[in-house]
Amino acid sequence: MIKLFFIAALFLAGKVSAHEMTPTYPPLVPSYVDGLVSAKMTMFNSRKDVDYFEIGVFDDEWNPVPFAATAKILRVPHGSSKTFEVFVRQEDKKRATFICSLSKLRTDSSARAIVSSKICSRTDGALP
Amino acid sequence: MVKYTLILTALCIPLAANAEEALIEGNVQSKCIINTDINGVYGNPAPDKLSTKSVDGGVEPTIRFDVAIANYYLARITTPSTFSTSPSLSDVVNWTGTTTVGEVSDAGMSAYDAAKVTYDTTSEFDLTIAGSTWFKVDSVATYGFGRAFPGGTYRAIVQAECIAQ
Repeated sequence: MIKLFFIAALFLAGKVSAHEMTPTYPPLVPSYVDGLVSAKMTMFNSRKDVDYFEIGVFDDEWNPVPFAATAKILRVPHGSSKTFEVFVRQEDKKRATFICSLSKLRTDSSARAIVSSKICSRTDGALP
Repeated sequence: MVKYTLILTALCIPLAANAEEALIEGNVQSKCIINTDINGVYGNPAPDKLSTKSVDGGVEPTIRFDVAIANYYLARITTPSTFSTSPSLSDVVNWTGTTTVGEVSDAGMSAYDAAKVTYDTTSEFDLTIAGSTWFKVDSVATYGFGRAFPGGTYRAIVQAECIAQ
């Protein structure tokens, strides 16, 4: 019983400080803008110490790939989720491999967060 | 009468067939969740040393990775090599850091430590089993050659990444 309570407590603790982004393998599909392809992503934030996330698109060597989104720094308040679209040029479609979200930590001394979290999805659909 | 009975029966059979075809669909999606279970604290066991190790009076940051499906993600944890906040420092800071597997939800995850790949200050773990893994991070900073750290607030950032494979 105590073991069960301990496990439940661990999971509840995790619920207040998580960063999640889906899907893992978003397809880059033609968008409503000519010459651009896009992927729709959803992010969920339950980190109390983080409100902002930076979006980035990278190739398989982790070089940045030009992209457009509603905002490169997204505000996702604690306990909420946000769906956003990432646009990449058609000519960069093969090069764009990773779409990442990186938590942005505040620099003021009142913030105690020392863990920056980053989640990357693959657009080329590579499976193990 | 027989004709009507036949027609009614024929009408009822497709309805019954439709009722049996009611579907319940489910979709298990691969995803990774990074949980910062414990934010670390630097202890100051000696004037020239800051450490998150519990023996040094610090608190080790603990990061939990939850993966829904095995073999889809790589966990990459980078220990600090610079302070994000500190007083002005005139001498060099030497950094060491290690990342180890703490608690696991599946006994097989204990093998992650032996299979990890380490380069620079980064450790990579192939998340080959679905479930939760808790990683503990040690970070130690020493200042100059036995010099005391100036008074003030020190912060450094651990980067936890979950990369789709």
